[in-house]
Amino acid sequence: MGKWLLKLVRWFNPVFRKQGVDTDLMYAIVELKLLMDTRRVYMSWKQGQQKENKNHLTFILIMYGLFGLFMAVTIVQMPLMPSMILFHSFIIFMMAMTLVTDFSSVLLDTADNQIILPRPVNSKTLFMARLIHVMIYLLQFSIAISGIPIIAGFITYGPIAGVMLIITSQLTVLLAVFFTYILYLTILRFSNEQRIKDIVSYFQIGMTLFFAFAYQIIPRLLDFADMTVSFTPKWYSFLLPPVWMATAMESIYTLNFDKIHIAMLALAIAGPLVLFWVMNRYLAPGFSKRLEALNTDSQVQQKQSVTARQHKGISEALSKMFCSSPVERGAFEVTWKITGRDKAFRLQFYPALGYIPIFIYLLVFNGGRNFSETVNSLPESNKFLMLIYIPLFTIASSFSIVTFNDNFQASWIYHSMPLDRPGHMLAGTMKAMIVKFFFPVYLLFFVISVFVWGPHVIDDFIMGLCNSLVSLIAIGLFSQHYLPFSRQPNVKQQSGKFLNLLIQAIVIGILVLVHFLVIDKPWLMSAVALTTAVTFGFMVKKLQSIAWTKISV
Amino acid sequence: MSIIQLQQLKKQYSGTYVLQGIDLSFEKGEIVGYIGPNGAGKSTTIKILTGIIGDFEGEVTVLGHDVRKEALAIKRQIGYIPEQAALYEVLTPMEYLSFVGKLYQLDEAVTRKKAIDLLRIFELADKRDMRMNGFSKGMKQKVLLISGLIHNPDIIFLDEPLSGLDANAVILVKEILSQLKQAGKTIFYSSHIMDVVEKISDRIIIINKGAVIADGTFEELKEAGAKGSLENIFTALTGDHEHLSTAGEFVDIMKNLSNG
Repeated sequence: MGKWLLKLVRWFNPVFRKQGVDTDLMYAIVELKLLMDTRRVYMSWKQGQQKENKNHLTFILIMYGLFGLFMAVTIVQMPLMPSMILFHSFIIFMMAMTLVTDFSSVLLDTADNQIILPRPVNSKTLFMARLIHVMIYLLQFSIAISGIPIIAGFITYGPIAGVMLIITSQLTVLLAVFFTYILYLTILRFSNEQRIKDIVSYFQIGMTLFFAFAYQIIPRLLDFADMTVSFTPKWYSFLLPPVWMATAMESIYTLNFDKIHIAMLALAIAGPLVLFWVMNRYLAPGFSKRLEALNTDSQVQQKQSVTARQHKGISEALSKMFCSSPVERGAFEVTWKITGRDKAFRLQFYPALGYIPIFIYLLVFNGGRNFSETVNSLPESNKFLMLIYIPLFTIASSFSIVTFNDNFQASWIYHSMPLDRPGHMLAGTMKAMIVKFFFPVYLLFFVISVFVWGPHVIDDFIMGLCNSLVSLIAIGLFSQHYLPFSRQPNVKQQSGKFLNLLIQAIVIGILVLVHFLVIDKPWLMSAVALTTAVTFGFMVKKLQSIAWTKISV
Repeated sequence: MSIIQLQQLKKQYSGTYVLQGIDLSFEKGEIVGYIGPNGAGKSTTIKILTGIIGDFEGEVTVLGHDVRKEALAIKRQIGYIPEQAALYEVLTPMEYLSFVGKLYQLDEAVTRKKAIDLLRIFELADKRDMRMNGFSKGMKQKVLLISGLIHNPDIIFLDEPLSGLDANAVILVKEILSQLKQAGKTIFYSSHIMDVVEKISDRIIIINKGAVIADGTFEELKEAGAKGSLENIFTALTGDHEHLSTAGEFVDIMKNLSNG
């Protein structure tokens, strides 16, 4: 799509030349950047699934188009105001997220300065090339996101309102750019480049979560999309851009030009333009200056290493509590620290945590059907069993991520050490993962459940904890043994995952069943809990004693 | 007339001067080694000479052009090979070089032929259509070298050109530099590796903390400095006498395994 859009740009060649832009150079730069866009790794899709030589961008655009399809259905089914508010919020959200997660590398890229600046390219040409590249990028995405909904708008509301929809959606894209800009400016104002990359990575996690969530939830929402939502403007409506846009649409469609509609219409059109002008005029110069400073500020990095040092202590204290040997403690601490700092790990692991609310929504709340009834009958049900075992199910399958790391070569250190039983490493890593990721979630659910079901669930949670721990250790014990952070990412990462998941599902199913059978017999429950606790202790010993010959490389 | 001329060149970053008044001039055909410890101001000087940084104090002319006013004219006739392997890694060497060729407005067929031949000489022929994100630092450095020389520049600026190259490539690059000198090119490069400077430079300039502290041929510096190799001169000139005692301390601490 990019190349095609670039052809349209060629119509303006005479205008560029008049401005002192060397058009040949400009196209060379823009074409190259568009080519690189198609090769960038898009974070909103799982990293492991991307192969080289594929056009990731087209894929992402098609996926966005699918979301657009959902929106189109909404536009056809829902009344004008709610569907338009939803649609414009959707554009802002999607564009801003895309800009933050995927385009940040372009906006914050200072490689241009090293590569293009030493060549004989004048600054006007470079500036124009960048501008056109950004515009084509935005246009590609806004066409993908809003194309199908706009067609739906034309069909539902006729050509005049359809044209209005094109205008309001593009103005909304401008707003999204503005908000992203403000976000970057704020981050740049208060922190350094590393921090930005961190923040961007959290956005990427959020984005992945959103996609996972949306694919589950949105089709369900459409089921009851026929509800009639009446909309009455409140004072704060004037602060919400999607409401401006929706009201503007309504006023064009119904030819209603009362005071409120005129005011909203004016806001809808003037708002984005004024904000964009402010951005170009007052914010952009400061932005590029700060960006330049990123490159030269070496002092910032020193500050960062100092803050890292202050975090020390948590993992050391916990490793003393949970580990029995120095090797185990070492593995515990290193796992704790690297999982907290490695971007790739966070990107892959945190979305697993994100499945927790999805499972709760599906299992505990019946996927939203008879919602109020389900909520009211919750205290009488046995659904806390779900809460006990959901953490196990969602988190356990992601534990293997800890064996992967971009820096996998660094694992030579384990092999060069006078280590007798590498099992201690495995045990330390496993303990760190349990303490860091499993315990907090379990504790949270425990507190919630005691609140909802009362203190009689305490013994269930104690038994559930024993069961979960045994399962987690069993997974560690019976799967292939890899040392932490020792495998190259994306190599065979997906293989065998499904089988593992199936076995886990069966094991967990049995656990839930056993739990369900003993739930009314406290003495049996204590017996089961005691047995699993003993088994757990035994299995940890077993894990610790794993020998070098059992370690896969 | 000198091919490069710097008069009272100063540059500050947020209040601190990283270059504090540099006066130098160079003749056509010289190989100049510009050496100093990290943070001495080497890269900054090169970036000013190549027209990348336009915000400085003092007067600088390259090839008779003022770098502030006629940066484009200068950029057309010089080649710059930056320190970090800064190139677009998602591209293949051929794609990258043809892009660079376009920026210099060279004929596409000529660029292509040159790129193929030069990559072959650097033993990258079989990798020319592979994306560079899998390349080693040395391989990227070779592509960078080609990208800085493909337009046959008169002056070549290299920022730490040999870092990351394997031993064979180092010898090759040194040889290329001396051949370039014989072809009448001027070469200006920065380094902190003494060995490189010693063998191929006509003239060595040592800077520290943004000021020139020595300027002359290797022989001259050798006389002025202390004993044999340039490393000693360098240590003497930059006042870095602490290495010996630091090394001793290192070993002492290493021996001590007990706590305290």
